[in-house]
Amino acid sequence: MADFLSGYSIQYWLESCPQGYLEETEYGHKAGVSESDLILGDDLLREQAIKVTTQMVVGERCALAASSGLINAAPDEAAKRFLATQTLDEARHVEIFTQRLYDLGVGKNDLESTLREHANPNLVKFAEALLEKVEAKDFIPGVVGQNIILEGMAFSVFEMLYAGNQKLNPKFAQTLAGTIADERRHVGFGENYIGALIKEQPEKRPEIEKLQKEMSYYMLATFADQFRDNDARAELETMKKRAVEAGGEESQGTWQGANLAELDPEEMEALLASTVLGEFKTRLGRIGLEYQTPAQP
Amino acid sequence: MSDPAEVHALDPESFEERVHSFQFWFEAVQGYLVDREYGHRPELPEPELTESERDRLVTVLCNYCVGETAALDGASGLIAVAPNRLTKIFLSTQVVDEGRHLEVFRHRLLALGVEHPEDEIERRASPRLREFRRKLEALVAERDWDAAIFAQNVILEAMEFSTFQMHAGYADPITREVLIGIIKDERRHIGFGENELGRRLKHHPTLRERLQRVRQELDPLVLATLEEALGELQVPRAEREDLGRSYLAAVERLGVRG
Repeated sequence: MADFLSGYSIQYWLESCPQGYLEETEYGHKAGVSESDLILGDDLLREQAIKVTTQMVVGERCALAASSGLINAAPDEAAKRFLATQTLDEARHVEIFTQRLYDLGVGKNDLESTLREHANPNLVKFAEALLEKVEAKDFIPGVVGQNIILEGMAFSVFEMLYAGNQKLNPKFAQTLAGTIADERRHVGFGENYIGALIKEQPEKRPEIEKLQKEMSYYMLATFADQFRDNDARAELETMKKRAVEAGGEESQGTWQGANLAELDPEEMEALLASTVLGEFKTRLGRIGLEYQTPAQP
Repeated sequence: MSDPAEVHALDPESFEERVHSFQFWFEAVQGYLVDREYGHRPELPEPELTESERDRLVTVLCNYCVGETAALDGASGLIAVAPNRLTKIFLSTQVVDEGRHLEVFRHRLLALGVEHPEDEIERRASPRLREFRRKLEALVAERDWDAAIFAQNVILEAMEFSTFQMHAGYADPITREVLIGIIKDERRHIGFGENELGRRLKHHPTLRERLQRVRQELDPLVLATLEEALGELQVPRAEREDLGRSYLAAVERLGVRG
């Protein structure tokens, strides 16, 4: 365990992250780059960008609370040190996505009210399910909920957003690229570290599997709200049309082999849900847990 | 890179936003951690120490690890209690600083030939320092923001700052370089504690009395811990008194008397 954890040292983190892919960035992107004019000049697109970024801030605040809260419960000093790097990664994500809200025109005094107005209630329940375990200092379910479920979801959502923004909004895509690199490290830690702990404490399995099922349901319900709700669906269709007008058919990139510009909202939701759930299944299998199919919202 | 003069010209709200950010931390540590491996230049040769010098250094480093673990658990636990986003983000930078300190001290123990640092830390930890850690943990568990920030970012950090500064003057080149990098972090942590509590003391005058009680409880543990560390480092008695005074002066800057 100790040898494996040396790959997650703070020295490694310093060299790969602040002194690596974040070097010469400001708030996660190259200095001087700004939000795309397409978004800033279109009220609908700007409002939609604020809604999406709100969910990211909510998710990252949850990740910050979870990773910092788990340090005290970590069974060894090496895991504490890894979680220390994760805590600062998550704080950075909170900061850069909050900064994006400011860049999109949210006033500093309006930040909390904007978050309250747009936070998806199902995403809030998703966060509460995880934080209940963290509050109880229940380490193994806490790490699975955080580093496999929450981070696994964020990883796929951010990758899809990255594909959709690479051409249309390079600033946001750059911000996402650094975040994705962080999430990859966090998911890797969860997979590598937790397997051995679960073998030592097999009695924890039912509790963790129940948490996975519950969090997966709230995740799917969040996706459904974003893609299936009538207003959201109409907005998405309009946005896609405007993006194609501005950047052409290839403007939204491809993800998981699909041209995002060609997908309707239901297809996009199905692709995202199946990708994330597929990843959960694979990763949970690697740490010796049986994936539990969630109820469909 | 932020120019300090430019930062101090900001209005109070923008100043807080700037100095409590990841971005500020990132720019600050880039200056003194770049090209360092585990806190020192990798080309520095390992010093030749006598068995007794090595043994005393191991004891001191083991106790530094206890202090840094207390600070890591304390700072991370306080994120959930922090009153706003900026203090949460600042504490996150402190969490990684404390984790780094623990890592570089542990790495130094390995370099000095300690095969199982955790066992050695357990064996050599000062009972007074352990007691301090338990009291700090209790304040964090009670979600007592003011008292816990005072215990952690003023008392513990001032103790570490004073000890590390004194030790750096006597240490071998590798240990000195490790300590100098840590001292720079500690200065930032103390600044946060003083700033945060200074503002709160202005608005809540009764807070001073409560912090005095915390101080009265912790001071004897800190002073005894300092004495033990300086004994191990064989610092002359006159200079030990300077260190005690340096710690007390740092704590009294907030006007919290012992």
